[in-house]
Amino acid sequence: MRGTACPLNWVKTKLQLEEMSAGAVLEVLVDDGSPARNVPRSVCMEGHLLLETSVVSDGVRLLIEKR
Amino acid sequence: METKVAVGAQPSGMRIGAQPSGMRIGAQPSGMRIGAQPSGMRIGAQPSGMRIGALPSGMRIGAQPSGMRIGAQPSGMRIGAQPSGMRRSWRMKRIYLDHAATTPVRPEVVEAMLPYLRERWGNPSSLHADGSTALEGVERARGHVASLLGAQPDEIIFTGSGTEADNRALIGVSAAYAEKGRHIITSMIEHHAILDTAKFLERMGARVTYLPVDSAGRVDPASVREAMTEDTVLVSIMHANNEVGTVQPIDEIGAICRERGVLFHTDAVQTAGHLPINVREAHIDLLSLSAHKLYGPKGVGALFVRKGRRLPSFVHGGGQERGRRASTENVPGIVGLGEAARLAAGEMESESAHNAALRDRLIAGLLDRVSEVRLTGDPVRRLPNNASLCVAGAEGESLLLNLDLEGISVSSGSACASGSLEPSHVLLAMGIPADVARGSLRVTVGRDTTPEEISRFLEVCPTVVDRLRKMAPLSPA
Repeated sequence: MRGTACPLNWVKTKLQLEEMSAGAVLEVLVDDGSPARNVPRSVCMEGHLLLETSVVSDGVRLLIEKR
Repeated sequence: METKVAVGAQPSGMRIGAQPSGMRIGAQPSGMRIGAQPSGMRIGAQPSGMRIGALPSGMRIGAQPSGMRIGAQPSGMRIGAQPSGMRRSWRMKRIYLDHAATTPVRPEVVEAMLPYLRERWGNPSSLHADGSTALEGVERARGHVASLLGAQPDEIIFTGSGTEADNRALIGVSAAYAEKGRHIITSMIEHHAILDTAKFLERMGARVTYLPVDSAGRVDPASVREAMTEDTVLVSIMHANNEVGTVQPIDEIGAICRERGVLFHTDAVQTAGHLPINVREAHIDLLSLSAHKLYGPKGVGALFVRKGRRLPSFVHGGGQERGRRASTENVPGIVGLGEAARLAAGEMESESAHNAALRDRLIAGLLDRVSEVRLTGDPVRRLPNNASLCVAGAEGESLLLNLDLEGISVSSGSACASGSLEPSHVLLAMGIPADVARGSLRVTVGRDTTPEEISRFLEVCPTVVDRLRKMAPLSPA
């Protein structure tokens, strides 16, 4: 989701998670700044588990476990 | 009828035991819904009784408590007490055989759309939760449409119709590639959405070649190759023709275009959701589709544009659809299209088989029962639901209107041509003489069409043809 603005980055993440089974893990790359704050917040509000957040060379990497 | 029949005006509906199929009849002062009747039912809420036409034993069902006589219905009629609001009697008894003009919106599609009318009515461009809820619906639909075509979601632009998608494909490519060339190749049998746009581009200075077709309505891929010049920027050939059903060899045409570096657009309005399409395998660069042809709502369509192909913004304004088509999205419509696409993807094979069987029976039945009638379009490579014919000695419009009076909806020529006296440009391009073309009839079945409806059509149509021929005894051409 690099280069994708809020809330489209979250919407696409959410739709991707819908296709997955519970317990599966999704890796998402978002831009630093608002996306890196908003997407994790939406992830948790939706009830999924944010396993890890790490800064990488071109953004922020999120590991999300579907609940 | 055997024993223990309780007959009376009961609001909750009566069960009459002697019916092998378990008929339930409720006496409704306002009318009744009878399910398994293909046509010709008159249901009145008069105390004098109702005649149900298609019963061999001449059933009379009256809404009086004094008694009902019911004949044996093997097909399992249900006459139900409908407290929630009755379907209007004209809908109940009509047979719809004009699916090429439009299709009914599937109940699942309606269900999918309703939340986006009732609760999730936010603007998808808004940053708050009301907006993103609506955005979710749009993006989910985009994914379904993309899957249907073998495309990526961001290659799908939602439009207001298939016609808009056609317009944009031609005008957009013409504008974007103008420095490369001004020549467009299309065919003589395209839908007016393509032909009229091509004529508009000619007035703007483009050069357009309208390829001929053979007597089956087929475009020869070799003729596409022959017509290409250094100046050609676009080839637009429809996937299947809406009037005669002929399916075009778009895989071959796409390959030729790719080889020559020319963009290939196909109007897939009649095929998306009915025939498998893979835009990558078929080398398709642009593709148009329309929701209301695949059991979705009217007012929404989509244009596929392969990544990397230039297409300028066509509706200017707010930057929606990646800046290419401004205007607040028709969220419920788009959601409906997405759901229709998702359902169609899973059912294409079974739907084709169902439609083809009914179509073939209809064609064989008509050829058998009516003299001097011919099938138009490719007999083999045709849409599974399309039976288009020319009937000698009868006028298409009159056939249509007379069948309409019998409760059957069909088309003569294309929907757009209905109401005009000109013979169809498609039939003329196929070499069919104008006087024969005037007797054209297009019957297109759909997923809800039943064998009984086909039987009813085959009963009624020959009679209508005979009547018309007697009224206007010109010798058939």
